Amino acid sequence: MENVRDTFKEVAAAILPVTVVVILLQIVFIQLPLEALLQFLIGAAFVGLGFFLFLLGVTAGLLPVGEMIGKQLPKTRNIFIIVGTGFLLGFVVTIAEPDVRVLTKQINLVSDGAIGAGMLVLSVALGLAIFVALAMIRIIFSIPIHYMLIGGYVLVFTLSLFVPNEFIAISFDAGGVTTGPMAVPFILALGVGVASILRSGSSAAGEGFGLIGLASIGPILAIMILGVLFQ
Amino acid sequence: MNLHVFEGFGDILIEVSYALIPLILFFIIFQFIMLKLDKQRIYRIILGFTLTFFGLAFFLQGVHIGFFPVGHMMGEALGSDEHVWLLMPIGFVLGFAATFAEPAVSIMNSEVDKVTGGYISEKVMLYTVSTGVGISVALSMFRILYGIPLWYFLIPGYLIALILIFFSNKTFIAIAFDCGGVATGPMTVTFISAMAVGAASVIEGRHPLTDGFGLIALVALTPIITVLIVGLIFTRKGGDENDEPES
Repeated sequence: MENVRDTFKEVAAAILPVTVVVILLQIVFIQLPLEALLQFLIGAAFVGLGFFLFLLGVTAGLLPVGEMIGKQLPKTRNIFIIVGTGFLLGFVVTIAEPDVRVLTKQINLVSDGAIGAGMLVLSVALGLAIFVALAMIRIIFSIPIHYMLIGGYVLVFTLSLFVPNEFIAISFDAGGVTTGPMAVPFILALGVGVASILRSGSSAAGEGFGLIGLASIGPILAIMILGVLFQ
Repeated sequence: MNLHVFEGFGDILIEVSYALIPLILFFIIFQFIMLKLDKQRIYRIILGFTLTFFGLAFFLQGVHIGFFPVGHMMGEALGSDEHVWLLMPIGFVLGFAATFAEPAVSIMNSEVDKVTGGYISEKVMLYTVSTGVGISVALSMFRILYGIPLWYFLIPGYLIALILIFFSNKTFIAIAFDCGGVATGPMTVTFISAMAVGAASVIEGRHPLTDGFGLIALVALTPIITVLIVGLIFTRKGGDENDEPES
């Protein structure tokens, strides 16, 4: 029950402030038709309810499994299995990530269907999956995190020279949305589990850090490559 | 009055099913080859999936009927108003409000508080990051108003981050880049971004695809730079001496 109350508070804190600002805006500056305001409030109630159920389901039902996999996986001592599982997990959680769904829908809407939502979701998921796999390799071979971050961003900026203009903004936006409420806890659970078993000792706790930052480079690259192919 | 509540809900339900099937398959495979959980655990997981399914469905439906159309309308209304500059202060307030109460941000703040032994308090972090995100949203609106390419903000932003990396220690680098995503919470991606796209669609000479998007990218950059600077201040003050700078 504690969990339910905390989740409720969390959702209210995330949604109420902006809702209040929008209501004030409506009264002071933009007099949209009353219908629009009601439509917004119904939307906010749905988003709140949905986010609440979603977080509850993920934390109570799904995340413990992620943690168990994270703990048992390194015991196999098989690099291919560990890296492969990182890849698969990264792929399946991104497909279910709500923020990714929202962004790709909006891109699809704005481009009048020219850039399909399904293709975008798959590209983003593939990009993230490859970088989660790289992050696993980093943990196994203790490659310093800043080498990979700098390398990743150098690659991003080099590639950007060849990417059509319409794809620049959405590719960086895609990098921001993949680190949502679904992907983050799963990737962290896997990374921390792998790090804590493979490297007993003082540095293990810190090894989980940097995973998310690294993972979010993947989708940027993926959408950029999609843009190059799209030309 | 003509309100849309469940319009298109069937499509959303189908979409959510597709979204969850890969994860369910993943769990089933691991159940057989590795986990071998007992019945009670499995019931719990099924309950988890059921909640997640309806949660995602309502979330997306709310965005579809509420946040997208109304965010877009508000952006259009402000973008075609004679006081179009209002987009900037309004953007600032929205960005600040979305971040100030965001749970993911407060987790990051308490982490920084812990790593610096209370030297950089949660409160200082909260105001700094919220103001930073507010500025990022305002800058995005500024970009849309004057048609400035995203590059002009992204390149200096990432350049600053890259230079800061060379002077920062490992802990702060890792926290900083992890935190990129924390500020892009559910309201930023859904409502504020829709508003930006709406504004870009009515201001003359702007294209919603190139100018309307990019807001999330700038918002994601804010916590990275903030945490790196905070880390630098802390290390320069002779903070954690065991942790050598990286370069």
